Amino acid sequence: MPVRFLRNASELADVSWETPLPVQVANAKPVPADTLLVATTTVTTDANRDLLGSTATELPTLDGCGQYRKLVWFYFRAGADAATYRVLARATDHNGAPLGAGWQEIVPATTLPGGANSWGRIEIPSAGDGYYDQYRIEVQRTAGSNYVLTSKIVGVR
Amino acid sequence: MTPKVCLILREFRFFNRAWLQVLRNLGIDYTLCTATSGSASASIQTPQGVFAAGSADLRGYFRQFDAVILCENGNSLAFSSVINYSVFWLSWNDPEDPAFLFFNPHFSTAITDSAYNTNFPSDFPIVRPSPSDIAGTLYPADGGSASAENPLASPGTRARGMCILFLAENIRAHVQTICNTHTNNIPYYWKLDTAKHSALANTNYTHRVARNGRAGEILAVPAPPTSSEDTETYPSDCVVAYRYRNCFWLPHAMYRAQRAVNIWDADTSAFVFWLLYGLQAAGVRPRYKLPVQMETDHPIDSFDDTAPFNFSYLQQMQMILVQFDYMRDFARRKNTAVINGVRVGGRLRRTSTSYHWNLMYRTSVPAEARAVAQQVNQLLIAGHREGTTPCGVHDHSIGNSKGYWAAAVNTGFVRHSGMRYGVPNDVPIARGRCCVAPHVLPAGVAGADAQTVQVGDTELIEWDIPTSGAGNTFDLPMDNIHAARVIIESEIEEMLALGFPDGYCGGHKYTNTAANNSGGECYWQALKEFGFRGVRSASTCNELHLTKRVVPNRLWHGFHLIPNTGFDLQATGTGYTRGLYYPNSPPGGDGVRDSELDHGNDISANWTTSAVAAWRAYRRVVCQGISNWLSTTVVELGGFYIHPYTNSMIMSLSDPLARFDGWSKQNVIGEPHYCHPVELLENMDAVVRLLPEYLYWGTITDVMDHRERVMG
Repeated sequence: MPVRFLRNASELADVSWETPLPVQVANAKPVPADTLLVATTTVTTDANRDLLGSTATELPTLDGCGQYRKLVWFYFRAGADAATYRVLARATDHNGAPLGAGWQEIVPATTLPGGANSWGRIEIPSAGDGYYDQYRIEVQRTAGSNYVLTSKIVGVR
Repeated sequence: MTPKVCLILREFRFFNRAWLQVLRNLGIDYTLCTATSGSASASIQTPQGVFAAGSADLRGYFRQFDAVILCENGNSLAFSSVINYSVFWLSWNDPEDPAFLFFNPHFSTAITDSAYNTNFPSDFPIVRPSPSDIAGTLYPADGGSASAENPLASPGTRARGMCILFLAENIRAHVQTICNTHTNNIPYYWKLDTAKHSALANTNYTHRVARNGRAGEILAVPAPPTSSEDTETYPSDCVVAYRYRNCFWLPHAMYRAQRAVNIWDADTSAFVFWLLYGLQAAGVRPRYKLPVQMETDHPIDSFDDTAPFNFSYLQQMQMILVQFDYMRDFARRKNTAVINGVRVGGRLRRTSTSYHWNLMYRTSVPAEARAVAQQVNQLLIAGHREGTTPCGVHDHSIGNSKGYWAAAVNTGFVRHSGMRYGVPNDVPIARGRCCVAPHVLPAGVAGADAQTVQVGDTELIEWDIPTSGAGNTFDLPMDNIHAARVIIESEIEEMLALGFPDGYCGGHKYTNTAANNSGGECYWQALKEFGFRGVRSASTCNELHLTKRVVPNRLWHGFHLIPNTGFDLQATGTGYTRGLYYPNSPPGGDGVRDSELDHGNDISANWTTSAVAAWRAYRRVVCQGISNWLSTTVVELGGFYIHPYTNSMIMSLSDPLARFDGWSKQNVIGEPHYCHPVELLENMDAVVRLLPEYLYWGTITDVMDHRERVMG
């Protein structure tokens, strides 16, 4: 005997995947965070190489981020060899066009924390709020051999 | 029933997330479990506790699932421990037990684990590969040549070519198939112990996955050749897929590596067919089927110089006509829609004969060729109206030939006449000098030309806006919504002049953008204003200028930015293909060179001396195309496209729609004939017919609907 419920004022519907039982969400708040990027990056000695592997210096790693107060960058690094990261940011106009060429460097080249097979978490920006429209996040190995960096970046409103 | 599977993996740092992306797209629930090692003594860590691999507790736990999937594989037969823990499951064959899916399983004789060897079923009918006796235990596949790198990886090139016969369905399909490989990078098929198989095939067995009610079933074998030229044959005891009771022994499905399915661009999952096939065979009923569709760019286009074919414009147009006639018919028969990006811009901005308008109307093109181009156009319009060949704008005449916002300024831009943004109207063409939020704008500040501008959820007042004047030619800054409106309206105006009722593929409200550049927010907004629901777009959405990326989830205020995967038989910059393979081709100028398919030079070294080399090239090219298409469809939910005109000169003039037939059917330069849309569509149709519970011929609307359904 199928389970049925009153879908509209006069329509009885069988419970199914397409017509699930109606529910009311209670005691729940929307999570004010969106996953913006999940990527694997080979960390090399290339200068200006971003998390998506691009060395085109005007190309953002993330675009359309103006709604986010902060980005949280989680990563897992497979190797211990020294590397640095650098975070660039800028605003765009309402058309999506950067206000000018180049970037504001909000984190200069800084040692990427952690050893082999270790996790990391970096807030962008580290203090205050972001609300930048575009970010470019670069990683560069400064010693040793290439390894893989797996990243997830979450935007927090 | 809710579809539900369990995935067993060893280490997340070698786990390919495409496994999960595919399951999410199909609406199949999944649980991840990890093995503590590769040995038979491993424990399996599940959300309900840690169980020994051979324990009754684990067997009971597994019974909640439709299927258990083994995700681990290796590229060396010498490994002693990869999935040894799974050996117990080969004996869990009761009707209550789930199906077990082994993809590219490691079961070589190099395994010294006594628990593995003593528990391995004595009646198992596939010969265990031996690293010290490869020739006696495996069959080299695809010519037996070695790949330059691990063939299990899947970069979207370097395909191995296989044609597989699925016995129960009696369908032949070109799908990349590697049962096992070794450190020599040679792909192998399995060798059957025919006596054991015979015994199993005569043993009654009851399980929901045993379609024939027998304990053993050969699912798939290498397809026998269709031509005497094709001497790449396999012995009768060669198999590529087998059902042993409720355990499926299947080829490689997913590269074992840390691959994020990037929110923008996924890695190519070249072997994903076998995952779908295994899931269907295991009776896992997905919540959703996935729509398969194909697009073309530049339905009418041509080349001035076509050496060595030396095709006239007329011959080029004739070859295009037969291809679109075929595609329209295919779409009608299969209830799909072949989307086409019409190369607009010829009417106003370019005189080149590579533009749709010019091939129809410019007197630089011979009259007889123009007549055929107009026939193609009429065919496209008819197909647009009936829904089989919907057409949309695709404009290379702007942005230094790269489309939307591919340059800071489009120097000497020529606009259209009439409509809202055309000559003689004096219309905005650049961002205003000022723009502020309306609620804080003091009275009297905005000039007389002030207007409200909205992009996304941002609404502003702009004034002092540079305008076009009454003329038709001016330098156009490309970085703003005003420019986008002028450009898009001019494109639609040309489509209307060509006879199309709209410029966005009718009810699909979609187009494939030139160079996959969708521009950025101002273009997405303008496209929405003109009625578009989505466009195809690369992640770097204004290439050349390189200041933009698509928004992370590829859905901007309800506007879709569909991932792109193109597949032609030549590299960008070489113009047109010279063939599947052509000895005198420039680098990247044929299918084999472009997709790096000449493994160990086994095509190039034999092309003129051994007919089988052509069949080898054919299999690899088609497998590459089907792999890339299927990956786009199943993993990325993207758009797969070809350029028919670049592949048209390698077709036989007298029999252009014929299927490939080696040297028996030749083109005008005496090389093997090949018809790209026929081969891709017919081979993909075989895949769709093989997987009726997972795939269907659909449309780009179905793709966008499904993206909204599963991506939120």
